[in-house]
This record gives sequence, structure tokens and C-alpha cells, in this order.
Amino acid sequence: MELYCLEDFKVEFDKLKSKKSYKTIEKEIINYFFGKSTEQLCSGVRLNHSVDVPYIKKRLGGRGGFRFYFLLVIKNDSLYLMFVHPKTGTQGSENITDESKAYLYKKVLECIQSEDLYKLSLDDSKKKTQFDKLVSVRS
Amino acid sequence: MECLSYKSEIVNTFSNVRSFSFQEKKAPLLDEEKVNSFLDAILDFKNSLIEKTERIYNVNERIEKITWFNDIDEESLMLLNDLISSAKDLRTSLIRQYISMNFFRKKGIAKEEIKDFKNSIDELKESYEDLESVFFFLPEMPDFVETTSKLSLV
Repeated sequence: MELYCLEDFKVEFDKLKSKKSYKTIEKEIINYFFGKSTEQLCSGVRLNHSVDVPYIKKRLGGRGGFRFYFLLVIKNDSLYLMFVHPKTGTQGSENITDESKAYLYKKVLECIQSEDLYKLSLDDSKKKTQFDKLVSVRS
Repeated sequence: MECLSYKSEIVNTFSNVRSFSFQEKKAPLLDEEKVNSFLDAILDFKNSLIEKTERIYNVNERIEKITWFNDIDEESLMLLNDLISSAKDLRTSLIRQYISMNFFRKKGIAKEEIKDFKNSIDELKESYEDLESVFFFLPEMPDFVETTSKLSLV
């Protein structure tokens, strides 16, 4: 499974990771998303009724925890992290609006088409995530 | 005369202390019983709360799984509408129960269990709101529907 993310996701991730109360976010990502099969990742709330390209909201991190929004493109074995927010604390929110869900959905499509994405990988220790900006080959 | 009344007072006080002391020597056993039954009641409360919380989490999980059902017909949509209303009712009752636990929360009794209980209620709300979005609101948003059809070509 290839993992990518939108700029929106990276911005939120960096912001949350820098806060002491949300430090577990990196561990949650590594444990849940890396090295998993499509079947294992097809859980949570499917927002778009799609069998081939499910748009998923997943709660991670126990009580409170984080809400992850991502897209699975099953035939390409690719996953696109779109957005994350904590449920509790200073940066916490209950849920995002349907308009925001629709906005993120449209945005991920545009980013996939324009290759405006970051590729996620793990460093040698497998304990840190790395974000590498994709360089588009299109003119 | 005065000396006699002193003696009598001392004897009375001694008698009072002696009987008090005797009672108190036996009292811890009685107190332990009371404390134990109080602790048992707290334990019962905790266990029933844990059980209820697990039941709510189970409902939440089942609601989430419904979002993976394909080709939902009109009749099933009506059932989903009923399910959402019923889940809203359930949340109202559970929130009432949570509020009635204010006394325990303030005293720090079953603190973690009550926090978990509240979290399960919050997630219940999130689950039925998401279910409503998935089957009733998002499919009515033209942008959203258009993105789904474009993504199928990616």
C-alpha cells in the first residue's frame, strides 16, 4: 500500500505533533496505516458508498482520540490521508460539517490529478514518518 | 461532701469511658461491614456502567458497519431513518443518566468509568450523525456526487 497525503493533512499533523497532548498522533498513524492490507483499512465510516474508492472516516486513539479522513484507491493500492482532527483538548472538535467533508473530497481528487501530494514513508528506525513532496512530471 | 461528689463524678466518667471504649472495640467490625457494603455498591455501579458503556460502543460499531452496505433501497432508507431517530432518543436518555452522576463525578467515584461512559455517548452521537450524512445529506450535495463519479475514473 502506497501512502500519500494532502497539504491540509501535513499542516494539521505538524501542528498537532508539536503539542504535548497530541504527541501520540505519529504513533497512531504508524500503527494503523503502515503495512496494512486494503481489507484491514476498510473499516470506520464509509462516507461515499463507493466500493472501489471508499472515502473513510476513522476514529483512532481510544477515548477522545483523533478522527482521520482518507481515501482508498483500491485498484492502485493507494491511500490518501486528507485531514485529521482531535476530538478533545484545545484543538479538538466534535465533528466536521458535511460541507467540509465535501470540500476535502473534491480537494483530494484535484490533488491526485495534479499530483500535488506528499508521499509518506517511515525512517530507518520505523518510528518516525517522513513526508516527501511529489515532483510532478507534467508540464 | 464535696470530695464524695468528685468521686462519684469520676466513677461516672470512668463508667462512661469504659462502656464507650468497649463499644468502640467492637465497632470496627460493624463499620467494616458498612464500608464493605458501601464498596460493594460502588463496585456494582462501576460494573453496570462498564457493561452499559460496552453495549453503547457495540451499537456504535454496528451503526458504522451499516455505512458499508451497498445498494440500499427505499424501504431500508426508511428503516435507517427510524434507526437514527431511535439512536437520538437513546442518547437523550443516556445524557440524563450521565447528568444524574454529577454527585459521583464531584466525589471522584468511578471517575474513569464515567468518563468512558460519556465518551461512548459522544461517539453514539457522532455515529448517528455520520449515518445521517452518508445516507441523507451527502448524496444530496451535487459537488459530492460529481466527485464520486470523477473518482471512479481515476
